[in-house]
Amino acid sequence: MMIVVKNLTQIYKSGKGIFDLDFSIKEGEAFGYLGPNGAGKTTTIRNLLGFANATKGDAKINGLDCRKDAAKIQNSIGYLPGEIAFFDNMSGMEFLKFMGEMRHVTDFSIRDDLIERLELDLHGKIRKMSKGMKQKLAIITAFMHDPQVYILDEPTSGLDPLMQNIFMDLLENEKSRGKTIMMSSHIFEKVQKVCDRAGIIKDGRIVAVEDIHSLNALKQKAYIVTFQDPTDIEKLNNTNLTIEKISSRQVRIKVNQNYTNFFETLAKCSVIGLDSEQLSIEDIFMKYYGKVGDSNE
Amino acid sequence: MNKALFKATLRANWMLGLFIALIILMYVSVSISMYDPGGTAALNEMLDMMPKGFMKALGFDNLGSDLTGYLADFLYGFIMIMFPLIYTAITANKLIAKHVDSGSMAYLLTTPNTRVKIATTQAVYLIASIAVIFVFNVSVAIIMSGAVFPGMLDIGKFLGLNLVTFLVVVAVGGIGFFFSCLFDETRYSLGLGAGVPIICIMFKMLSEISDKIAWLKYLSIYSFINIDKIFANGSYVILASSILIVIIGVLYIVAIRIFNARSLSI
Repeated sequence: MMIVVKNLTQIYKSGKGIFDLDFSIKEGEAFGYLGPNGAGKTTTIRNLLGFANATKGDAKINGLDCRKDAAKIQNSIGYLPGEIAFFDNMSGMEFLKFMGEMRHVTDFSIRDDLIERLELDLHGKIRKMSKGMKQKLAIITAFMHDPQVYILDEPTSGLDPLMQNIFMDLLENEKSRGKTIMMSSHIFEKVQKVCDRAGIIKDGRIVAVEDIHSLNALKQKAYIVTFQDPTDIEKLNNTNLTIEKISSRQVRIKVNQNYTNFFETLAKCSVIGLDSEQLSIEDIFMKYYGKVGDSNE
Repeated sequence: MNKALFKATLRANWMLGLFIALIILMYVSVSISMYDPGGTAALNEMLDMMPKGFMKALGFDNLGSDLTGYLADFLYGFIMIMFPLIYTAITANKLIAKHVDSGSMAYLLTTPNTRVKIATTQAVYLIASIAVIFVFNVSVAIIMSGAVFPGMLDIGKFLGLNLVTFLVVVAVGGIGFFFSCLFDETRYSLGLGAGVPIICIMFKMLSEISDKIAWLKYLSIYSFINIDKIFANGSYVILASSILIVIIGVLYIVAIRIFNARSLSI
């Protein structure tokens, strides 16, 4: 086991936090860590990196205690923070050189290769960089020392779709090299491509750890359909589609793998618009457990 | 101690250090050039026109007549206290608390360096930079005095005064560093890191105005800069320095240990 989290509990003064988390991630496995904002994903990650003190329980990476042996485990971890703060007065390249020195990195081939692949201009001051550029810089920082384990907190936020794809390829490649990956997200689709398993955290507690395929099977997709003729909406009422009326001409239809029925019904109507909507993890969850608790958001 | 971090810290902080060093240099050179070996009567006359209590509090009430005493009164009552305080309060806050507040500490801690090593490096920077500011200004003062008024500066006494003042400033920096290590947010770190020394300055000033509240001096770290005692005997300098070194050791070690033990929200 590469990452082992046991009874990990950290309670903040507000009473929020994480409670009795138990999960482990095998070497070479990609693990998605899913949950709405404020569920405790980042708190878990803070414990894995040794920043936070657990109230009880512990986390181990490679057999070493994440808090007590924090400095020893860092060179085997590639960490991508959710909220990134660099040394603003440095240029991108100066920061990478600084991090290289701090980590005693001697081989810069990965770094230079990534700079090229991500098409990042490193000459400007970090302070002046856009959010997307900062995210790329953070990715290079996390990957440059060829770590064994990646801990990625919302890694694709701030990246445009093209860069998201490049990043996902990068991760797939690392995975094929036997690296262990833990990535958090509040969107299922973001982890679905790379991850083998996913843990779902809600209100500080792990509610499910499942194979990604079984989660995928539970997934619903919603489509916003616009009709030319408002009376078409009534036609839908008589079918077994799950619909929700948005306006006189628009409905939201949830589909769960049975697309035949969806298309057959819509073929009879005067559809003039079709947009897909991304469902949050909570929507998947609602289907899974048939209920959903109060959201923190 | 980490060399890469020391360099990065130097790059982010050298400007303020240089700025403060130059301001102090300006006062040092002005005070030396204003010295009149015939007597400080003219200057004292000018100071007489200012509110008495205020001047007394600043240590300007009775400028010494020899060059060493004159410089001590002119510079070490206020200028060598206030400007170093501005420097240490801002810098100490930037060294730890600002990195924790902004989140950039996460990057420092995701390198194979312990928290103790990182905080020690920052503390070393703070102390070393104060030392550079002092060595620079003391050298200039000695050289300038030697050039303009050869043989008139009692270098032994002057160095003793500067040693005690330097150690007080390092201790004040330690107060700032302690709060920088203790708090997540810079407003608390900076507020207390500057606020506590300012209260110390006020206690010392008040204690000098009236004998009734002279006991306030025991609450102020700045009371170690007692010019009369420093000039009167060398053993006071040794005693004060020894006590200050113990205070400094405790402040910085406790600060680093707190930082090492804390739970960080980064």
